[in-house]
Formats: sequence, structure tokens, C-alpha cells
Amino acid sequence: MTDLIGSVLVLLGAIFHFSAGLGMLRMPDVYTRMQAGTKASTLGNTLVLTGLAIHHPGWSFKLLIIVYFVLMTNPVSSHALARAAHAIRIPMAGDTGIDALRDAQQRVGNGA
Amino acid sequence: MIRRLSIVIALVSFGLVFASLVAGYAERQSPRPLAEGYIRLVPQELGAANVVTGILLTYRAFDTLGEVAVLFMVAASVGLVLGGERPPRGVRSEVRPDAARPSSEIVQTGTQILVPLISIFAAYIIMNGHLTAGGGFQGGAVIASGVLLVLLAYPQYQPDLEFLGITESVAGALFVLAGIAGLIVADGFLDNRILPLGQFGAFFSAGAIPVLSALLGIKVGCELSVILERFRP
Repeated sequence: MTDLIGSVLVLLGAIFHFSAGLGMLRMPDVYTRMQAGTKASTLGNTLVLTGLAIHHPGWSFKLLIIVYFVLMTNPVSSHALARAAHAIRIPMAGDTGIDALRDAQQRVGNGA
Repeated sequence: MIRRLSIVIALVSFGLVFASLVAGYAERQSPRPLAEGYIRLVPQELGAANVVTGILLTYRAFDTLGEVAVLFMVAASVGLVLGGERPPRGVRSEVRPDAARPSSEIVQTGTQILVPLISIFAAYIIMNGHLTAGGGFQGGAVIASGVLLVLLAYPQYQPDLEFLGITESVAGALFVLAGIAGLIVADGFLDNRILPLGQFGAFFSAGAIPVLSALLGIKVGCELSVILERFRP
């Protein structure tokens, strides 16, 4: 039974990884690709490692550390990449409506 | 058209080469005589559970010393080529005039959380080199990756190159001294049996191999950090 639950979790994680890859191919610009890759692969990693922990309870602590590491690094690094892309003005897809970071920077600029 | 054709030809010829490699590959059922000798001798003579580290730090330790020397030459020549004019030492704490845009708060907080983790992981890799996969070189590279993270997150931060240089030199000198001690006390240069072998598989075992690993890790970490600092604009 636990084997089955673990396998289902690993499979779910693989599906999220697949959707991350699909998003990288299908999304129109840098920012949407980045969020597709980051969110889906973070959740995918977590699910795969959780499934492994159910398969092998002895590895749980090490897998927990790996999950913690992925949760710490993946969002931070993609945040830095997206901010750098915004800073060198990589264009957004044509139908993007809102640029919250630009608005915030303008507000700070006007206030000072 | 010609470009596509040449790409296809290149792909097909690569495919043929790799296909012949795959077809000719047969997994060996037993290790070669040399490998068998090492597998038998390393746990027995050196007391190291990790055969590769035993080879690298005792039987082939002279080669390892050469590799470290190569890395040292690289660090020195990078410093010679890219060193140029450094700002004088007094202004270290101030913001340099050409400093890059500061990184965002999220990156800085992430760095503060991650750098201790990376350092602990590096120490783990270095100190368990004689038991599991790892050792001085790998751990030193992990240390340098932590330093790279700090350099990226804090563009104004300047590591103390003088301190790094002295630490690295001391570690290298101690490595060579341990080798000479092997000549005097044990069977030859860089013999690990200058310290008691201890119990096989324990944390303090395998003679001088953990000590040599730690020295190597410190040396490699310092050298790579110096190289990274030199490559910064």
C-alpha cells in the first residue's frame, strides 16, 4: 500500500516536471517561461522526493534536507534571474497588461 | 541547404561513432587485476573504506600534489593577468565607485540562509572523504561555490585576498610536511600511516587521510575563491 502511494506521488511529480518542460516550450516570453519552470519544477521535485521518502522511510531525513534546499534555492534563483531580465528590459509578451515592478520603481522614483 | 546537409552528415557520423561504441561495450563481470589489487590492498593496508580516496591520497598522492600545484599556477597566473589595479586597502569597507547595483532583499536573505548550509555540506564532504564519495577537491569546490554566492549577493563585499593567500600557503606547506613525515616515519613520501589507522570505517581512521583531505579542501577552496574574486569586474 505504501509502495503504491509513493509511486503515485512520484508519478504526480513527474507530471508536474513534464508540465514545467511543456511550459518552457509553449510560453510566450521570458517571464512566463520562468514562472512555469520554477513553480512546476519546485512542486515536482517536492512530490518526487516525498514519494521516495514513503518508499524508503530510512532516507526521510536526508530527503527532507534536499527538499528544504530546493525550496530555498529554486524560487530565489529564479527571482534573481527574472529581476535581472527586467532590469535589462527584456520585452514582455504583447498582451501583458500589468508591470508591477516598473510601477513600484516609478512610485519610488517619484517619491524621492 | 548546404548547412542543413552538413548538420545532418555530422549528426549521422556522430551517431555511427557512438553506435559502434555502444555495440562494442560489454560490461566486465570481474575487475581487472590492477583494480582487484587496489580493492584488496586499500582497506587492508591503508584502512580507508573509500578505495578511490585511498589511491588519490596515498598511492597516487604525488599526482594529487601535482594537481594542486597546477591549480596554484592557474590562480597565480589569473591574478597576474586579471589583477590589474586594486583599490587601496583602506577603502575596503566603503562602497566602491563602480560597484554594481545591489541585489534584492530576497537574494540577500536567501544567501544568509544558504551559505551556512553550503559550508556545513562542504565540511561534511571533506571530512568523510575516506568513508564515502568525496574528499578535499570536491569539498573545496563546494566552499568556492558558497563564496561565489556571497560575491553575487553582495557586490561590495571584498574578501581578504591576503588572508586567503596565507591560509592556502600554510595548508600547502603542511601537506608537503605531512608527506616528508611519511618519508621519515612510514614507508615513503605521503604515506598515510604516520598516524594510527584506527578502526576500519570509523570517523577517525585511515591514518593521515582525513588530515590530508582537510588540508587539500582548505587549499582548493582558498585558491578557487581567489580565482573567482579575480574574475569579478
